[in-house]
Amino acid sequence: MTETPPTDPAGASAGSGGPSANAGDPDTAYDVPPDAAPVECEYCGRPFASEGLLALHRGRAHESTLTDDQRSAYEAAYEAESGQLQRFRLKALALLVLLYFGLLMVYAVV
Amino acid sequence: MDRRRTPTVAAAQAVTAAVAALAVAVAARPVLAHGGSLGGAARESLSVPTWLMLSTGGAVVGASFLLATFATDRSALDWLVDARRRVALPAPTALRWTAGALGVAALAGIVVTGFVGPTDPLSNPAVVIVWGGWWAGFAMSTYLVGNSWPAVNPWRAIADVLPDLGREYRWTLGAWPSVAGLLALVWIEVVSPLADEPRVLAVTVVAYSVVTLAGAVVYGTETWFREADPVSRVFRYYGAVAPVGRGADGSLSLRFPGAALTSDRLDGIDEAAFVVAILWVTTFDGFVATPGWQWLARSLVNLGYPIAALYPGAMVVGFGAFLGVYLLASRVARRTAPTYVASETLARRFAPPLLAIAAGYHVAHFLGYFLSLVPALVAAVTAPLATVNPGLIVVPGWFGGVAIAGVLGGHLLAILAAHVTAFEIFPGRLQAIRSQYPFIAVMIFYTMASLWIVTRPDVPLPYLQ
Repeated sequence: MTETPPTDPAGASAGSGGPSANAGDPDTAYDVPPDAAPVECEYCGRPFASEGLLALHRGRAHESTLTDDQRSAYEAAYEAESGQLQRFRLKALALLVLLYFGLLMVYAVV
Repeated sequence: MDRRRTPTVAAAQAVTAAVAALAVAVAARPVLAHGGSLGGAARESLSVPTWLMLSTGGAVVGASFLLATFATDRSALDWLVDARRRVALPAPTALRWTAGALGVAALAGIVVTGFVGPTDPLSNPAVVIVWGGWWAGFAMSTYLVGNSWPAVNPWRAIADVLPDLGREYRWTLGAWPSVAGLLALVWIEVVSPLADEPRVLAVTVVAYSVVTLAGAVVYGTETWFREADPVSRVFRYYGAVAPVGRGADGSLSLRFPGAALTSDRLDGIDEAAFVVAILWVTTFDGFVATPGWQWLARSLVNLGYPIAALYPGAMVVGFGAFLGVYLLASRVARRTAPTYVASETLARRFAPPLLAIAAGYHVAHFLGYFLSLVPALVAAVTAPLATVNPGLIVVPGWFGGVAIAGVLGGHLLAILAAHVTAFEIFPGRLQAIRSQYPFIAVMIFYTMASLWIVTRPDVPLPYLQ
């Protein structure tokens, strides 16, 4: 296993955007499989599985140092994720209804 | 005083009542489960089949998760975690001294009355104070209010005045000695008549005192109680669930219950293993009283397995299974999220929420037990050396509702804390939700395993007499 700790260049601490944005968190270890092709954050070196996740990370953790391109990438990724989240919520709601009425039926029969 | 049976029956009633309440909520018609009946009858009178009860329990956990996924607003989640209100204690130093003196006096009283007090367990202050006052009552205060054990801990107070050899603690061992200590303590509790024979209890307390004080002298008080002592660690971890806690600067503050479970408080896999051990030992207690264990133990002995290694073996194998399932979940979570965060980090961050589940089960097990022992506790303090018949308070039937609230509340808190932690670790909201799938599966597994155990009829532990 290859452990890739955040390389933490000079910009990392300057760019942290809040108490919960643990971009340069030294306690978080990373483990990238050898055959993977991660995209890495240019501010803190954290590896991500996709450009979308990297854009979301940059927008949240390095908000103050974003370039215009990165900001628009963040907004686009956020919008796309909001759409996916809507669909997820519909499915979650359907599952909840199914669980509720499923159990209701079972309790009525047993 | 059968310490094991009482909590298990109480838990069975709680679960019976929980299923009854759920059935009423879901089907809106009365069911036959008698939440308030006493003794083993509580199990037989359960009109809901076991498979349905187990699936209802699992469904409750799953549904709680689905509900939590609707909360995706980061600023609201951050507020839940970060909201604090300071509490200032009057004269903290004086309070600390009083608490320490009280702890030492209680320890001395327990040892003395354990050796010379009445042999009737309900009249013996050592038995009543250790099981009713300390392991039920005090332990509840650590997660319902706040962890006051460092102040009350009598061994700490004694070790503070003893010399300190300051030998270096082997850091590579981490929390593993305390994991082994916890498993050993619960093993002793299960296989020996600690709740029935005050003399045995007193010997155990003395033995624990010798080990603890020796450890504190050799390695230093701070190191010993932070790293190696299992009791201090249990209460410290329970304290993370509590609404009162210490900030980084040592000041007390009020927070939402469970808010501290979202912080990065564990040092490594070893400390995550301790959290899983807390969950496992509550399960082990009930597991060895099931007919399934009786059958397994008999078969193993017939195959030539040594009787002496039966219970330690079950303890270690069961713990290994619980821990293995949890570590597997933290590996799978890397794929479901997806993320490159190391599985060790995930295992470390998502273990503290499980403490809320452990606390919930502790409430369900011990709240009724504690209340029923209040007259005995009063008698133990007012007339320590007299054989009295203090009687037990019979808790009313609706009391099962409080136990259900404990179990459900613990699960909700755990799911919410894990949800908030995921939002803190992962940049994507959907990614955070997906990272939770394996951990929710593990919680469902733990819940169904515990429910299965409390629905089994209670049998005497095999090969103990």
